[in-house]
Amino acid sequence: MNVQQLVPLALPRGRRLACELCGGPAQLRCGACGVTYYCDVDHQKADWVSIHEKICQLLIPIRTSLPFFNSEKERKHGMEQLLHRQKHLVDLTHKVAQKFVFEGKHEEAIPAALHSLRFSINIYGQDSMELVPAYLILAEAGTGLGRLTQADDYLSQAQWIVLKTSDCSKGIQSKLHRNLGLLYAAKGHFEESLYHLATDIYFASCAFGTHDISTSGGYFHMANVFFRQNKMDIADSLYTEVTDIWHAHFSRLIQVQSQTFTSPAEINILSEDVEISEEPLSKSNFQYLLIINLLLLLLLLIELRQV
Amino acid sequence: MSTLPPVPIQCPKGHPSLINQMVYPSIKLARIHLNKDKDAIDHYLAMNIKGLSKQEAAAYRNSYKKNICIDMLRQGYHKSFSELFTLIQKWNALREAAGPGSAIWQQKSLEEQPDKLDQLHHFLTRAEAAQRAEYYEEVYCNQLNLAYCFNNPEDKWLRNYFYEQCFHTAQLIKIDGGKKEAEAHANIGLVNEEQGQFVKAAEHYEAFHQLTMGRMWKDETGHTYNSLACEHLWRIYTLLADKMLENKEHQQAIKTLIKAFEMAKEGGDKKMEGEAAYCLGLAYHSAGEEQTAIINLNTYKEISTELCDVVGLGKAYQAIAKVLVSQGKVTEAIEYLEKFVTVAESAHLSRSLMDACISLGDIYNERGNYYKACGYFNQAFEAAKTLTHLPLVDETKVYYGIAKAHNMMVAVNGHTEAADHVSIEYLLAWKKNRSDMCADPFTVELAQNTSAVLETHEPLLQTPVQETL
Repeated sequence: MNVQQLVPLALPRGRRLACELCGGPAQLRCGACGVTYYCDVDHQKADWVSIHEKICQLLIPIRTSLPFFNSEKERKHGMEQLLHRQKHLVDLTHKVAQKFVFEGKHEEAIPAALHSLRFSINIYGQDSMELVPAYLILAEAGTGLGRLTQADDYLSQAQWIVLKTSDCSKGIQSKLHRNLGLLYAAKGHFEESLYHLATDIYFASCAFGTHDISTSGGYFHMANVFFRQNKMDIADSLYTEVTDIWHAHFSRLIQVQSQTFTSPAEINILSEDVEISEEPLSKSNFQYLLIINLLLLLLLLIELRQV
Repeated sequence: MSTLPPVPIQCPKGHPSLINQMVYPSIKLARIHLNKDKDAIDHYLAMNIKGLSKQEAAAYRNSYKKNICIDMLRQGYHKSFSELFTLIQKWNALREAAGPGSAIWQQKSLEEQPDKLDQLHHFLTRAEAAQRAEYYEEVYCNQLNLAYCFNNPEDKWLRNYFYEQCFHTAQLIKIDGGKKEAEAHANIGLVNEEQGQFVKAAEHYEAFHQLTMGRMWKDETGHTYNSLACEHLWRIYTLLADKMLENKEHQQAIKTLIKAFEMAKEGGDKKMEGEAAYCLGLAYHSAGEEQTAIINLNTYKEISTELCDVVGLGKAYQAIAKVLVSQGKVTEAIEYLEKFVTVAESAHLSRSLMDACISLGDIYNERGNYYKACGYFNQAFEAAKTLTHLPLVDETKVYYGIAKAHNMMVAVNGHTEAADHVSIEYLLAWKKNRSDMCADPFTVELAQNTSAVLETHEPLLQTPVQETL
């Protein structure tokens, strides 16, 4: 992390430099890229840990003014390249934010998600569908940190966009309602939470089918709500459903794996085990995390049964 | 939307360590205060401004199917939801597979029939609630109710589906000694029978029979389940045997029919028993075992006499006569058929009478007794006329014509062979006035006349009336 002190008085007139995170007057600058400003070291550190380390150099071509082009063609090409770079940044920041959220590092996820949102707005405008994923990640991080008002705010934005777009994809709607459900659950409004989770399951079923792993998330959160409401029989039935879905999913994976071996004699239990655990890991951290969730779930189920 | 600022990119919102140092412009500060009170504002709006809540508004915007699904899920009935959802998808897939122009294409989807969705919602959720509490009888009842709900032709697939569900549930019910399981077997059997899968149906009926043996369970109409099982089994075995006979597998068919007969006996329904015996007799006959066939047909005859079932009796006589004819015992056959005729006459059964007369006529015809054959065919014709069934009338007419022609052939041949003066006179006389049917029994019509008669019905319609036999 490279810190450069700024002297605000030395800045050109009329040009106010704002902190990357809070928008306050800037006192510092990142020395590596020279285009990112902060109000203090803490903010710079937070940004650095979250996303800036990865995008520091990528920001330079976007934030410096375009070079002078000689022909219309070149100008056009330059604009296209800029747009392309911005889109790449949206993707990158979104992925990083998602990864942090999945790992439970909500604090670190927020700067990355904010960047994602900002670049999306730059490219697509205020009311575009592309903003929804960024809003959802922000909301999820907010809910995770217990900042419910903010999460509510972001979700309202997302919901408004979804409502205005008539042909919104079912997957996005499902995610939106899942987040709303989680938010209300966190607030303790169980009835509303159940309503949103139900909507989530409905949309996910439309998009992926009733027994897909993407739908199982909704069931799981719903089970948690019923668990908190002390309706054990319903929670039990829902947890069972989730484990069934995952069991079917893993059985399928194992089957696919075992089919790749030429003869069954080559399979020994150990190697198979390794394959199973590596498969989801290599796919994404998300699945790995869900396996852990699943194991926790199984423990919970056993506990429930004993009660 | 305008009340909210365009981009909420103010801050990482409350780093606990940083939040105090952050300097907010006054508007943002105000907004954050506002946000803190958002719940209070919502509450205030809900209390004081009568409008639709978000959920109510969404309910108006959504389709009925979606509302029902969400409603089920909210109460935790996820199994009902996935069942309903899968059913709708299944139907849509069926429809897509059938393509436009098929019958299913014209039908309404489940989604568009709120009353049916309501029924599904009601019973499915109750079944699931019962299942959670492990009251399987309750689950079974609800599923059965659903099957009853969809008992119209276009919802057959739903009915069959729920019968199958009932069957799976019934296997979990242990307390009632298998009554529900037996019922479920019977229902599945019926479904299979309807779909033409007789072997499967037979298997289920057998299970039904096994389970009801020695039990006193009764249905709403007072029949015992066991007799019901026997009836089903008898019916399915007979159907199976019919198929085997079509494929010329006589021995197998006989084996199956024997089973059917035993079932009919066990069921205690005499009529059924008789029918079974009759079918068995016919099968033996077609397999060439006449003696056994007659024994069985006699059983049928006795049962029919016992039940005063004239039609059955007639059928028995006819079948026995047929067997006797194929054995070459014609006189006995005639005896039986005459009995048949008297029975039919006494009971005023034109159809049976006609059948009997035709059989008798056939026999006489074959043996060269054309005079008698004519008589019986005439009787058959009369019987057919009372039935006012045109094809039958035509058929008997043809029989009568043939017999009559045969009858005349003898005389005509005699005259032509004699070739003396008198005979030729007779022939000529008949030839002159054949248009109005010669009354002289010696100058009989020529065969060509009868063939003409066969083609045009009008003269024949008069013949039986005019002729003295």
